[in-house]
Amino acid sequence: MIPFVIYPVFKTIYLSFFLNDKFVGLENYKHVLLSPDIINVERFPTKSPPWGSLVNNAIFILIHLPITLFLGLGLALLLRKEEVKGSSIIKSIIFLGMVIPMIVGGLITRFLFEQGAGVVPSIFGALGIKSLDITWTAYPQTALFAVILGSIWIWTGFSMLMYSAGLASIPRDYYEAALIDGASRFQIFRHVTWPLLKPITTVVVAMTLLWDLKIFDVVYVATGGGPGGASMVLALQMWDYFARELNYNYAAVVAVLLTALTLVPATWLLKRRE
Amino acid sequence: MPQRKMLGILLLGIFVFSVVASGCISQTSQSPTATTITKTETKVQTETKVQEQITLKVIGPWSGKELDAFMKVIEAFEAQHPNIKIEYKTYRAEDLATILPLQFESGDTPADVIFMWGWFIKKMGEKGHLMTFNDVINPDEYIPGVLDAVMSNGKIYGAPFTAAAKPGFWYRKSFFKKYGLKPPQTWDEFVSLLAKIKEIPGIKAPIVSGDSVGWPLSDVTEHFILTFGGADLQLKLIKGDVKFEDPQVRDIFANKLVPLLKAGYFSEPVEWTSAVTAWWKGDYALYFMGTWITGMVDDPNDLGMFSLPGCKAMVLAPDYLMVPKYTAHPKEAMELAKFLATEGQRVHVGTNSGKLATWKKVTLDDYWPPMRDVAKIVSNVQAVPDLDDSVGGEWQKTFWDQLKLLWVQPDRLDDVLKTLDEKFPKK
Repeated sequence: MIPFVIYPVFKTIYLSFFLNDKFVGLENYKHVLLSPDIINVERFPTKSPPWGSLVNNAIFILIHLPITLFLGLGLALLLRKEEVKGSSIIKSIIFLGMVIPMIVGGLITRFLFEQGAGVVPSIFGALGIKSLDITWTAYPQTALFAVILGSIWIWTGFSMLMYSAGLASIPRDYYEAALIDGASRFQIFRHVTWPLLKPITTVVVAMTLLWDLKIFDVVYVATGGGPGGASMVLALQMWDYFARELNYNYAAVVAVLLTALTLVPATWLLKRRE
Repeated sequence: MPQRKMLGILLLGIFVFSVVASGCISQTSQSPTATTITKTETKVQTETKVQEQITLKVIGPWSGKELDAFMKVIEAFEAQHPNIKIEYKTYRAEDLATILPLQFESGDTPADVIFMWGWFIKKMGEKGHLMTFNDVINPDEYIPGVLDAVMSNGKIYGAPFTAAAKPGFWYRKSFFKKYGLKPPQTWDEFVSLLAKIKEIPGIKAPIVSGDSVGWPLSDVTEHFILTFGGADLQLKLIKGDVKFEDPQVRDIFANKLVPLLKAGYFSEPVEWTSAVTAWWKGDYALYFMGTWITGMVDDPNDLGMFSLPGCKAMVLAPDYLMVPKYTAHPKEAMELAKFLATEGQRVHVGTNSGKLATWKKVTLDDYWPPMRDVAKIVSNVQAVPDLDDSVGGEWQKTFWDQLKLLWVQPDRLDDVLKTLDEKFPKK
């Protein structure tokens, strides 16, 4: 723990207060957190992107989290073994997104949304919606959504798998009792299934939140954070400061911010499990 | 007693004879004793002849056909140095940027010779991580200014290998012939050529825009800056003496590049290697690329190229290499670096690499025939350094990214120029 977690964490915090080996107090925080890289107050929310990486992460969470959660739950309910033939195979296909390397996931995302090559622009083209028959990753108004939708495909397998395991653990007697009492399918879901799946939902929400906050590779490969920073996220911003500017201190500031943000869902998850 | 005396004399005689005889015979190496000595001598000789086998690791950006061309250089070096084997690994500069600073800080290196951006080499050299080339290469033997990017306080931290030039728009001669098109002589002819191409059935856009790596868009932008602002403006932009929001620079964007973007003469950004295929197939008519494109097409003899009318300068972008101080074989690594910076260039330009020599001792006859005309053109114009490669850092990526934005939203020119100025490294 000390060499691999505690020391790096404290060293990162320590580095965030220095610039060119000089102690600068909170200057780095002021510079980074007030820069348009993090929140672009000039453009958000009235003008088109870029809106800043923190805003993009927030949008990512707002769209990605509920969709993956409910899509995973819906698929798990639809593909219950006793009701659907070949459900294991279908689940395996959906889970494929989770097992492929994220770099490959990013590449697939990129090509899914490329005009001429990808299926998404082709669908919109066939529907006559010309404004979306474009390379989504090339335009600031669609780039972030391309990455989010690609991530939904990648991450839904996790949510579905968790809910499938949760559903399998609910005793059949509960459903039988509810049916005898005359409950409808919706009432059974609302009063039996959903409450019993709460621990699973907690884990899925927390893990998805963490994943959304630390998202890097998919964005790096699919859009590189562009165009014009329209799909930039915090982890990629940190990498840019570190690897492009060779400014470890600014990178440390973003790392501290990311750590603080990830601590929120992590702590919440731990408390709920207690 | 006399018998004993006789026996003694006899034994002494035999001993003396043996000693004398052994001395004589040893020189003809007939006796067992003599053989032993010979064996020892042979062993000593063998030890001095067979040198220790060394493996040098080289990291560069090339793969596919480009790597095949580079491996010809490596083979030439190995043939001259049988005791040195080269192990090559492909890493893009973007990936190396994350690996190298940490490794260097911990006194380690992933390779003995590494190809990297010039600005990065300079920065690492200043931090004391690299060996210097002052005693290894002669700056007078290189084209002027080529070492500037890797020099600091008189110390040369990187050696130049061959360079790519970014001379202009490439087209297929057969395509131009089929549609009766001619390379333009004036700006108006260039614009009307684009208009004419746009009307050709099946053409997606007159010019294909390379993407996914960023630099193809910056290359074509720099060509506009060089044509309408000259080499001097490019150098001032590199130094930060002129801002992007400066009226002179803004005019080039607003009056030359942006109208073409708005007219749809450039395609939306397309992955740059698949763009080569699409352009060659005829989906697009023109592609602004570096000279390496000659090695990427099926028939280099069908290639034609023209610069923007009036262009008198072009970007010459050398591949730079460095030798980290932490190499286990400093002598051999420097030897390889020297070879790559000198005779290795002669070998490289003789392949289909599409590269140009930065070492002045390479002659036109050394070139791969399809590149000789390009080499002649380049020698007649002023060579200037690559803008984004020279500035480097986060700004380089910002430049690429902002141009992607401009390509799809040309109306945001002022936002783009403002961002470029804001992100430019402070002096």
